[in-house]
Amino acid sequence: MTVAESEVSLASRRRRRWSRHRVMGAVAPYALLAPAAVVLGAVLFYPLYLIARLSFEKYGLFELIRHQGKWIGLDNYTQIIHDGQFWRVLVRTIVFTAVNVSLTMVLGTAIALLLVKVSGVVRYMLTGALVFVWATPVVVAVDVWRWIVDPQFGILNWALTKVHAGDFFHHDWFVNPWSGFAVITGLVVWGAIPFVAITVFAGLSQVPGELIEAARIDGARSWNVFREVTFPLLKPIFVILASLSIIWDFQVFNQIWIMLDQRPSADYYLMSVYSFVESFRLSEYGLGSAIAVVMVLIMFAVTFVYIRQMVKAGEVR
Amino acid sequence: MADVQLVHLSKVYDNGVVAVNDLNLEIGEGEFVVLVGPSGCGKTTALRMVAGLEEISEGEIRIGGKVVNDLPPRERDIAMVFQNYALYPHKTVYENLAFGLRMRKVPKDEQKRRVQEIARVLGLADMLKRRPAQLSGGQRQRVAMGRAIVREPKAFLMDEPLSNLDAKLRVQMRAEIARIQQALRVTTVYVTHDQVEAMTMGNRVAVMRDGLLQQVDTPQRLYDAPVNLFVASFVGSPAMNLVEASLELDDGKLVCRIGDTVLELPSDLTAERPSLANYAGRRVAVGIRPEDVREAAGWDGARLRGRILLVESLGSEQLVHIEITAAPLERSDLVDTAAQLPGPSLGVDDSERSVTLLGRFDRHLLLASGEAVEVAIDPRLLHFFDLETGAAISRVGVPVATPVAG
Amino acid sequence: MSSRQLGKVGWNALGLAVFVVMIFPVYWMVSTAFKTGPNIFSYSPKWLPIPATLANFGDAIHRQYFWQNVRNSLIVVVVVVTLSLALAFLAALALAKFRFYGRKAFIVITIAVLMVPLNALIIPLYITLSRVHEVNKLSGVIITYMTFVLPFAIWTLRGFILGVPRELEEAAMVDGTTRFGAFVRILLPLVAPGLVATSIFAFIQAWNEYIIAYVLLSSPEKQTLTVWLASFTTNRGTEWGPLMAGATLTAVPVVIFFLIVQRRIAFGLTAGAVRG
Repeated sequence: MTVAESEVSLASRRRRRWSRHRVMGAVAPYALLAPAAVVLGAVLFYPLYLIARLSFEKYGLFELIRHQGKWIGLDNYTQIIHDGQFWRVLVRTIVFTAVNVSLTMVLGTAIALLLVKVSGVVRYMLTGALVFVWATPVVVAVDVWRWIVDPQFGILNWALTKVHAGDFFHHDWFVNPWSGFAVITGLVVWGAIPFVAITVFAGLSQVPGELIEAARIDGARSWNVFREVTFPLLKPIFVILASLSIIWDFQVFNQIWIMLDQRPSADYYLMSVYSFVESFRLSEYGLGSAIAVVMVLIMFAVTFVYIRQMVKAGEVR
Repeated sequence: MADVQLVHLSKVYDNGVVAVNDLNLEIGEGEFVVLVGPSGCGKTTALRMVAGLEEISEGEIRIGGKVVNDLPPRERDIAMVFQNYALYPHKTVYENLAFGLRMRKVPKDEQKRRVQEIARVLGLADMLKRRPAQLSGGQRQRVAMGRAIVREPKAFLMDEPLSNLDAKLRVQMRAEIARIQQALRVTTVYVTHDQVEAMTMGNRVAVMRDGLLQQVDTPQRLYDAPVNLFVASFVGSPAMNLVEASLELDDGKLVCRIGDTVLELPSDLTAERPSLANYAGRRVAVGIRPEDVREAAGWDGARLRGRILLVESLGSEQLVHIEITAAPLERSDLVDTAAQLPGPSLGVDDSERSVTLLGRFDRHLLLASGEAVEVAIDPRLLHFFDLETGAAISRVGVPVATPVAG
Repeated sequence: MSSRQLGKVGWNALGLAVFVVMIFPVYWMVSTAFKTGPNIFSYSPKWLPIPATLANFGDAIHRQYFWQNVRNSLIVVVVVVTLSLALAFLAALALAKFRFYGRKAFIVITIAVLMVPLNALIIPLYITLSRVHEVNKLSGVIITYMTFVLPFAIWTLRGFILGVPRELEEAAMVDGTTRFGAFVRILLPLVAPGLVATSIFAFIQAWNEYIIAYVLLSSPEKQTLTVWLASFTTNRGTEWGPLMAGATLTAVPVVIFFLIVQRRIAFGLTAGAVRG
C-alpha cells in the first residue's frame, strides 16, 4: 500500500536542519547588506553619534587642533535656550517652512490640475518647463534670481516700476528682511513646484476615470469632484509630498547663503545657517552642534509622521 | 525519465498553518498524475516542494529513487510550467527556450538543434526572434511548455498552466498537452483546481482538501466510487445530488426513506455493502448523479415525486431542476461548497423540507417549469455516506483509495 | 465657439501664462549668458540677446581651474553613481528577497535616514574627516555623497525588485541558475528602469551639491563646479555675464540627462508612491 514505512528512517523524516544550503541562505542577506551598511554607518551613524556628543562639549579652535573636545554637559543647550536669538531663528524657520510648504503644495497641485485641463501641446510645453526648472541646480537657480533682483540691472525692479507698483529704482530687496524673505520664498517655491506638480499629475492619471464620471453623473461640479473624489484618493501622495517638503524646506541653506553672498545678516538666519555660522565662522563647533541636534530632533518628529503614513500605505512590508 | 515519490510530505508555515499534511503519493515513470482540489488545498505547495521552491517541513521527496530534499531546484533536473508562464520578458523566444540549456552548458549547436526542433513541433518556428510581450496568450503558453520540454528533464511540473486562457483555447491546449505528454512519456505532475481538466488529462487523479489527500485513483474510479462526500461532490459536473435520508428496518429488510418516499433496497445491494446494515435506524447521506435522475415513464421501480423549478436546455440534453421533498445535507463542511446548488430549505420535519435535484433528461421530452414530475430512482445507482465523517459506505470488492499505485 | 471650446482656450491661455512664469528665470539666465556687456547692464532690459556673443562663455571657460573643476565634478559623479548603484542593488536584494532578523528595522532606518538634515552633519563630518586627513580630497566628498544617495537608491530599487514577479526567478532557478545567478541574470535586467531612475537621482545630487563640497574642499583646484560658481562674486561685485554663462554650463549636463529620462523618473517615483 504505502511506500514501505520501514524504509523511511526517523532520521530522514526530521530534515537535517543545518545543511550548507540553508546556512548560506541565512547568511546571504547580511552579506548583501554589509557594504551599504558600512558606508551608511561610517558616514551617517557615526557622525550622528558624534554630533550628539559634540553638542555636549566645548569645541573651539583650540580643541580642533588638539582633536579633543571638553565635556561641559548641558551648557551648550542652556546657552542656546537662554539666547533670544535661538528662539527668533527657530520661530523664523518654522514660519518660513510653513509658508513655503503651503505655497508649494497649493500651487503645485493647482498646476497639476491645470496640466489635466490643457491641450496636448501646451501640456508638453508646461511639463518641459517644469522639468527644466527641476533640473536646474540650486546654486544656479540662486544666481539667476540674484541677477533678477539685482538693484540696478535686475529685471524685477524694472518690471515693477513699469507697472507703476511703486518706485523700485535701485531697490535693494535684501535691506528689509521681509522683502528679502519674500524673494527667497519665491525662489524656493519656484524650485519646489515642479516635483510636486509632476508627482501629483502622475497620481491624478491613476485616479480611475470611472469614479470621476460616476461623480459627474451624480451631479457633482468640478470643485466638488476634486474635493470628494480626487483629493481623498490622493491623500497618501499629499502626505508624503508635504512631509518631504517640510523636511527639505526646514533645512534650507543654499538659497540664503548664496543669495546673500555668503554673508547673511543675523536677520536672515534660519536654523541651518545659524548652526553653520556658529561652527565654521565663530568656531564654536559645540554650540553649532547643539543647534543642529535640535534641528535633527524636530526632523525626526516629522519623519515619524511620514514613516507612519508609509507603513499605513502598505509600503513597508 | 524518473518516478517521483512523496513520502509523508508535510508543510507547516511559521504561523502554524498546515498547508500539506502527511501526503503520500507515488507518480510512476511516465505517468501523468493530476493534483486537484479547491484553492488552499495544498496542491500548489506540494508541487513547489517537489520543485525545490518551498522548504519541506517533514517527509521526503524522491526523484528517481534519490532523496532530493536538500537539493536546490537546479540540481533536481525537473522542469516547471508556471501559471503565468514566467517567460523572461527581456529575452527573445529563442533565448527563453535556450536558457535552461545554456545554464547546463549544453554546446551551442546542440542548443540550436533542440530549440529549433521544439519550435517546429510547437508551431513557434517563425516567432523565435520575438519577445513574449508580442505573443498571444496561447503562444506564450506554448513557449512555456517548450522551455520545459527542451530540457529533457526527469519530470514535468505544471502549475495550473491553462487557467489564464479563455475557454475554447483551454480545451484545445488540454488536448495538446495530453498528446505531448503521451508522445514524450515524461513523468508529469499537474496541478489544477478545475476537475474537468483533472478528469480528462490524468492517468490518475489525486484529490486534495485542506492539505489532506482525499483519494487518488483513475478518473473513472473517482467518479464511480468516491471515497467520501467531498470527492463525491467535487468530481463530476454537474455535481452529484446529495440529500439526507434515514435507513430503517422494515420486516428485516433495509429501506431508505427520502422525504416521504420509501425506497426498498434490493438484497444484492445490501449484500455488496455489508456495513450498511449498521446504519439501520440512523440517518445517512445519499447521493445520486444527475444522469441517474431520469423521467419515470416506463420505470416500475421506486419513484420520487417532485415539481420542476427550471429547465436549462443545452441542446444535447436538458438540465432539469426538480424540487423534491427531502432533507438537505446540513453538513456543508463535508462537501465541496462551490458545487452545491442553492436550494429552498424551510420547515421542521422531513416532509416539509425540500431539496433541488438536478437531472439530465433527454432532449426530446417536453418539460415546463411548474409541472409535477416523477423521477425514477434505481437504488443500485445510489451512493451512501456516513453523516458524521462523510466517508462512503462503500461496496466490498471495490479497491479502497490507495495513496500509492497498488 | 461652444462654451467647452471657450473653456479650453481659457485653460490653454492660463497654461501658457504659467509656462512663461516658470521658464522665465531659466530663459533669462541663458539669454544673459549670450548678451554683450552693454546689453546686460542696460537700464531697460533687452529681451533678446541680439547681438549674441560667446564672450561670456569664453570668459568663464578660461577661468583658472575651470577644467579641473569640471573634471572633479565628473569624477565625483561617475564614482558616486556606479558605487551607489552597486551597493544599493545588493542591499535592495537583501531587503526585498530575504526574511531576516532586523529587516523591518533596516527598512525603517532607510526611510528615516532620508530625513536627516545633511547640513547638520557637516560639523561632525568635517571633524571626522580632518582627523583621518580626508579633508580637501575628492574621496571624502564621494563617500559623503554616497551616504545621501544610498537610502533613496535602496528604497527605489527595492520597490522595483518587488515589482518583478517572483515566478521569473523561480523559473530561472528551475532552469538551472543559482539563487544569486537568478538575481543577476533575470532580476537585474528587469529593474533597469529603477537603475536609470536611481542613477539620475545620484547624478543630480552629486553634481548639484554645494555645501559639503564648499566645506570639505578648500583648495580651488580640488573644488567642484558648484563651488566654482561662487568665484564669480568678489568684493568688487559680481561679473554677471560670465556668471550666467558659467551657470548655464553647470546646468547643461543635468538638463540633458534629465530630458532623456524624465518620463521614467516620474513613473518611478509614483510607481513607489501610488501603489494601487
